[in-house]
Amino acid sequence: MIRVRRRRLSAAGLYLVALVILVAVTFPAYWLVTTSFKYEVDTIVSPPIILPLRGTLRNYVDVFRVDEISRFFLNSAVIALTSTGLGVLLGSMAAYALSKHYLSFRIRQVVMIWILVVRIFPPITTAIPYFVIIRGLNLSDTHIALIITHTAFTLPFVIWLMLGFFQDLPDAIDRAAIMDGCSLWQRFRQITLPLALPGMAVTAIFTFIFSWNEFLYASMLTSRTAKTLPVVISGYMSDKFLRWGEMSALATLMIIPVMLFAGLTQRYLVRGLTFGAVKE
Amino acid sequence: MSTTTSSSQVPAETSGSAPLVQRHTGERLMSWLFMAPAILFLLLTSVYPLLYSLRLSFFSWNMSVPNSQPVFIGIRNYARLFDDPVFLSSLRTTLIFVASAVTLEFLLGMALALLVTTRLRGVGLMRTFLLVPLMMTPVVAGVLWRTLFHSTYGALNFFIGLLGIPAQTWTGNPEQALAAVITVEIWQQLPVVVFILAAGIQSLPLDFYKAAQVDGASAWQTFREITLPLLKPVILVVLLLRIMDAFRIFDVIYTLTFGGPGRVTEVLSILIYKNGLQFFQIGKASAMSWLFLLFIFVIAIFFIRELQRRGPEGPA
Repeated sequence: MIRVRRRRLSAAGLYLVALVILVAVTFPAYWLVTTSFKYEVDTIVSPPIILPLRGTLRNYVDVFRVDEISRFFLNSAVIALTSTGLGVLLGSMAAYALSKHYLSFRIRQVVMIWILVVRIFPPITTAIPYFVIIRGLNLSDTHIALIITHTAFTLPFVIWLMLGFFQDLPDAIDRAAIMDGCSLWQRFRQITLPLALPGMAVTAIFTFIFSWNEFLYASMLTSRTAKTLPVVISGYMSDKFLRWGEMSALATLMIIPVMLFAGLTQRYLVRGLTFGAVKE
Repeated sequence: MSTTTSSSQVPAETSGSAPLVQRHTGERLMSWLFMAPAILFLLLTSVYPLLYSLRLSFFSWNMSVPNSQPVFIGIRNYARLFDDPVFLSSLRTTLIFVASAVTLEFLLGMALALLVTTRLRGVGLMRTFLLVPLMMTPVVAGVLWRTLFHSTYGALNFFIGLLGIPAQTWTGNPEQALAAVITVEIWQQLPVVVFILAAGIQSLPLDFYKAAQVDGASAWQTFREITLPLLKPVILVVLLLRIMDAFRIFDVIYTLTFGGPGRVTEVLSILIYKNGLQFFQIGKASAMSWLFLLFIFVIAIFFIRELQRRGPEGPA
């Protein structure tokens, strides 16, 4: 009897703790979305309105009045899609070669450790040389500058992740194709790629999200023509800081694609987060 | 010579593909061709900038002065940094930030991971909710928390007011700003720890737990004697990952405090940004970058060694 009651009590305690954490984790996002629907006068009042009883779409209309905002949306999309495509293509090919045994173990190990080391460096440590180099090449404020830098950051990630996916594929099909006289390229195109497509999609989503969210290089290398959304959002802090409604509306629009994609990758989330080191 | 050695190595580790050895020369060439684009790309985009930055770190160069040229000054940039109080205090701030954020994330994350791997109802919902901060654009997280921390209109002061605590200035207060930044970091990165540890816990063999149950071990004993030791490789991966990522924090601090008030939240990445991209002290900022790199490298090596010693989780 006592035991059952104690267990019930501890379960209730667990639920209470879980509830508190859940609220703490979710409230900021709730605050962001509700603020985006508030009237301007309702965003800057004290005490703040936690449960808004009236709402407006005004902020969303205002967002699209921001000068050139559709161009910034397009920039973000174009840069994220291009660097994803480039990264997944180059990375998958390299990962495929690394997943086979034609190169000596030593060479493959050296290449992979080098790639891992490249990933470890904080982006700020290459920011200064990139700034000077991109300026010297007259590529400041161009899409290509951001595409190159974003691909450089996602490529190691793609290689490691795709390597894991390739190693998961059964060896037997590949061996049968070798017997039929298929070359490495044919096997890659006709056998491995179709089988590894889900893994590739997951990898692509991760790299897309990285590029879509990336701020440091975007703020440093672009000013107008190639400006992306994170830079626009950060601009709300200084001159327009009290326009919370409009800022929240833009932020909400910005995180919608990410949330949609994130739902699709849930099964492979841990693999993506750990660079392929922990598989579910 | 090199062909014979490597082709003799190949069958040794490939099982059952001995008759294919003859084809390997062609396939080896193809393998190199497959890797070439990625390797070239990484050489140009990662190795070259790093070497260029190393070179710049030996020069004095203020790019904001029109037509200024880099002047070679040897290791003076580095020598100056070692007794530059601003750099040293930034290094300290960075270490405090990383150590407290990762420790708290780990403790909270472990508790939550144990919770979401139970069969309690509502656990699935919890996992979904945890995805939200994780996927939030860091810049958005920064500006969003800025509104939450706002001393007059922010929600946080409203909530602590309900508990009878007077309003605070949070990011405006030198004594609270670093804690505020750490809070945001924990809010956003806690799910990473939870998800990875939960995946690790779920992959542990059940037999041990059954045996523990038969022996009448308490929940705490089971955790200490079974879960923790078995989970060690995953714990190392989480810590390595979180420490490396905490060091690279930039977006959130840039939008939340930009290193202020004063310099209390000025971590190394913000300091380098200010020196290099605001004041255009290219040489000095490059030297800072390289010291930062070496620092990170030493920590990473330690963890990767530890991981490799334990076997399966190590690279390659």
